[in-house]
Amino acid sequence: MTSTAARYDTPVTIAPVLRYAILFVVAGGVLIPLLTTALGGFKSLGDLRVNPFGVPSQWEWMNYWEILASGRYWQLMGNSLVIAVLTVILTVATSAMAAFVFVHVRFFGATFLLNYLLLGLMFPAATAILPLFIKIRDLGLLDTYWGVVLPQVAFGLAMSILLFRNSFRQMPKDLFEAAVIDGCGYFRFFWHVILPLSRPILATVSVIVFVHSWNNYLLPLVVLNRDTLYPWPLGIMVYQGEFSTDWNLILAFITLTILPAIIMFFAAQKHIVAGLMAGSVKG
Amino acid sequence: MATSVTGGTAKAVFQAPSWLRASSTSIGGSTAIVLLFLPPALLLFTLFVALPMGEAAWYSFYNWNGYGAPTDFVGWRNFELLFANRAFRIALTNNLLIIVVSLAIQLPLALGMAILLADRVRGTATFRLIFFLPYILAEIAAGLIWRFVYDGEYGLLAKLLELFGADPIHILAEPDIAIYAIMVVVIWKYFGFHMMLYIAGLQQIDRSLYEAAHIDGATGWQIFRRITVPLLGSTIRLSVFFAILGSIQLFDLIMPLTKGGPSDSTQTMVTYLYTYGVTRTRIGFGSAVGVVLFLICVVFAFGYKRVLMRHD
Amino acid sequence: MSYKKLMLAAACAIAASCSGMTAALADVTVRMLHVEQNPQVTGFWNDIARRYEASHPGVKVDVQYLENEAYKKKLTTLLQSSDRPNIIYSWAGGVLRDQVKAGVIEDLTPVMDAPWKARFVPAAVQAYTVNDKIYGVPMHTAQVGFFYNKDLFAKAGVDASSIKTWDDLLGAVKKLQAAGITPLITGGADKWPVHFYWSHLAIRIGGKDAFEAALRGEGKGFADTTFVKAGEVFKQLVDLKPFQAGFLGATYPQSAGQFGDGKGAMMLMLNGLLNTMKANSADKVGIPDDKLGWFPFPTVAGGKGDPSDTLGGLNGWLVTKGSPKEAADFLKFFSEAENQRQAAERGFYIPVVIGTQDAIKNPILRQIAENVSKSKYHQLYYDQMLGPSVGAVVNDISADLAAGRMKPTEAAEAVQQAWELAQ
Repeated sequence: MTSTAARYDTPVTIAPVLRYAILFVVAGGVLIPLLTTALGGFKSLGDLRVNPFGVPSQWEWMNYWEILASGRYWQLMGNSLVIAVLTVILTVATSAMAAFVFVHVRFFGATFLLNYLLLGLMFPAATAILPLFIKIRDLGLLDTYWGVVLPQVAFGLAMSILLFRNSFRQMPKDLFEAAVIDGCGYFRFFWHVILPLSRPILATVSVIVFVHSWNNYLLPLVVLNRDTLYPWPLGIMVYQGEFSTDWNLILAFITLTILPAIIMFFAAQKHIVAGLMAGSVKG
Repeated sequence: MATSVTGGTAKAVFQAPSWLRASSTSIGGSTAIVLLFLPPALLLFTLFVALPMGEAAWYSFYNWNGYGAPTDFVGWRNFELLFANRAFRIALTNNLLIIVVSLAIQLPLALGMAILLADRVRGTATFRLIFFLPYILAEIAAGLIWRFVYDGEYGLLAKLLELFGADPIHILAEPDIAIYAIMVVVIWKYFGFHMMLYIAGLQQIDRSLYEAAHIDGATGWQIFRRITVPLLGSTIRLSVFFAILGSIQLFDLIMPLTKGGPSDSTQTMVTYLYTYGVTRTRIGFGSAVGVVLFLICVVFAFGYKRVLMRHD
Repeated sequence: MSYKKLMLAAACAIAASCSGMTAALADVTVRMLHVEQNPQVTGFWNDIARRYEASHPGVKVDVQYLENEAYKKKLTTLLQSSDRPNIIYSWAGGVLRDQVKAGVIEDLTPVMDAPWKARFVPAAVQAYTVNDKIYGVPMHTAQVGFFYNKDLFAKAGVDASSIKTWDDLLGAVKKLQAAGITPLITGGADKWPVHFYWSHLAIRIGGKDAFEAALRGEGKGFADTTFVKAGEVFKQLVDLKPFQAGFLGATYPQSAGQFGDGKGAMMLMLNGLLNTMKANSADKVGIPDDKLGWFPFPTVAGGKGDPSDTLGGLNGWLVTKGSPKEAADFLKFFSEAENQRQAAERGFYIPVVIGTQDAIKNPILRQIAENVSKSKYHQLYYDQMLGPSVGAVVNDISADLAAGRMKPTEAAEAVQQAWELAQ
């Protein structure tokens, strides 16, 4: 058995030909919509119509160039970036601090407060979107970045606290004892011991929160009215409404908006996959 | 009431009589740290999550368009209207249908791909990435891409039908089939995520079990039935949980595809809430939808964790 | 010389300090939000804005576009924002009444009282009057009717001038279908383009009396025979499957483009279609003027409505609460006869400023302007007239009727139920 191709220590024994045949078919199904989208952006409308699948008969670089040269694309990307970065910073800061307290300080009502915060895991933002809108309006935050950022932070807290809490609890107990013996206060312990050791979990939480914010649609849709503040998911929907039948332009715009995510994904795939999976599994 | 910390021996050594006097322990400032580190999270959560949810319950008894304060108390009428509404019943049915399709098609597909890709053979890493790729795309972008695929004039599907001599159809404009077109997108978008879960699960399984089974002459199906599925139990339960919860919340993907149309045939609970609550600024009615959605989520999550995941 | 220099220096200093001051005091931006897609029309408005800015230093007029559907959906939330635009586009009717009731619209009565008010056709000002106060500046009027493609009609041997009754229309639809031509184009995804059928049928069947009786809650209100029959008569058309493939998924701009591209023979729409068609056709021209025809909505046998009754709009501008006085002042400039005459001349719309309509060259707009001025009953679009919540239901049921997924009685009852709830 040693030299034959078949392996028996796997969940499935299948002829390699069949295995790859299946994988290629499924991969085709996954990739064709994406590839035709990117290629479609290089076509003229007439070309797209007769030839939606193939390579452009003539490469229309202008479709992409005009979008890149317009301020609109960069404004949308910039807004998304600002909102996402603010959300990440605030979420990481508030939830790491809260998790630290829940792990290292025992105080009256701790369990109650932790469970209270973890209630946020139970339901999506959509359930309370109308009262949330009223609240944001009453606080005067409609049409501001903060009107999107703060609720995003609030809805992301539960999961982030849980992730930080799990991570902090797994740190060796002697760390704390050593800190105590050194007479190191909570603040220094948090800042100089815990945080430097928490890089992996910081990365994980940041990835999850960033992706959530980057892709979020409902909340900015309700909160933002000025198109100068729109993050890209809103902007692309407006663009699609405006150019409703000029599919070649819309495809070019879609390609450019998803490109940063795809580049990031391939550049840091391990972290992103691990981060997103950790977020959902532990959350 | 003890302020002692969670570290093993430290607990015994540094016991303080009361949390108010906590700061007197040798690791300084536990009161201060609670008062400084906890309030930001509590404040944000209370303001933007807990209060709005409570207010949803309150507003749901009013007829209110958001101007001024809610004064027109209507009792249970918003809920009565909701359950009598044809579009809401369609939305509920669609949510159920999407759950069924997720469980019956998406998860088996994900499991199949996971089994094919569980071991490092040539190209597995690339295939895994490809299958996971749709999951990282924003729902809005994925929806728009598929809107193009389904477009009756420029789309890929129309062209394919044309090649086979059939009339191109505007599939998203057909009330009877649009929802199935959306399900295809749901599967496309999320099966890679479930596949990754399964791969992680499969890697926990002791490989000698498979070898032993083979030596005993077990068939592929028997191995799948008797080893893979039982040992993947907790992963499958988790994956089912996510599939159902995700199906209940489906919204972003539908907006660029159909916005719940044509004739409400692709509404889900959240698109329904958006269409009939948010865009028409019926705060009370929309809050009632939110409350129903909340109850469904909470009952499901608690129930599922209690009953099916209690050992996981 | 030195004296002159000194004076110059002083003047400069004063000018510098003053311009600094005026910049601080009068730096006002007026934000105007509209839904017009045609770049020629928006270019024209922008041009008015630039001219206003030139004669009013320190004032900036920012003309912003929001897509029609997005605008309607956002408007209520938009008005609740402290950052709302100063001038907003309006279709008057019940939506305006709700906005006024909410206290977010500026009362323009003091500024609009003669002579400004006297510029407009009285009915137009009336449409913007709520509780005897004027809340808006009317801009143009419109009528819903059938646009048709003369080439396609000729190909199918259909004579537009012979379509007088609903049965004539059904006959034309069949004839077009026999010739392999899609008879009708509509934007079913946006729903309101379809509601023109149901509401115009109600106008033809029951006339002004039936509508007003329903508003007063007489009989079964909107569930009464007129409105049930409107659904039944509409169903006769729907049963012929006259609309383009995929019409339920087509938005209004998409459908306007399809009509402009010659994908179907007729489109029931208000005259704003002329602009929208151009913006969305593949060649950005659509059907050239000489190939485009128009006829009014046909009559229904036994209907009580007068054939001259019209369904249409009286669109205009509102100033939101808390806006600088320049907002209204700009609208005053905007509605000067010279400016609006240009819009008429260039065929953008039918202005409601007196003495501008004779400048209209486009034959279809001329005809519509004449119809509206002769009409004894110009009904505002139901979806705007009945207010946001009821209007939305009228649109819903119209689209459901067109999809063949609702019975005429259910449709009428749904409208009546929404109407009762809104009271």
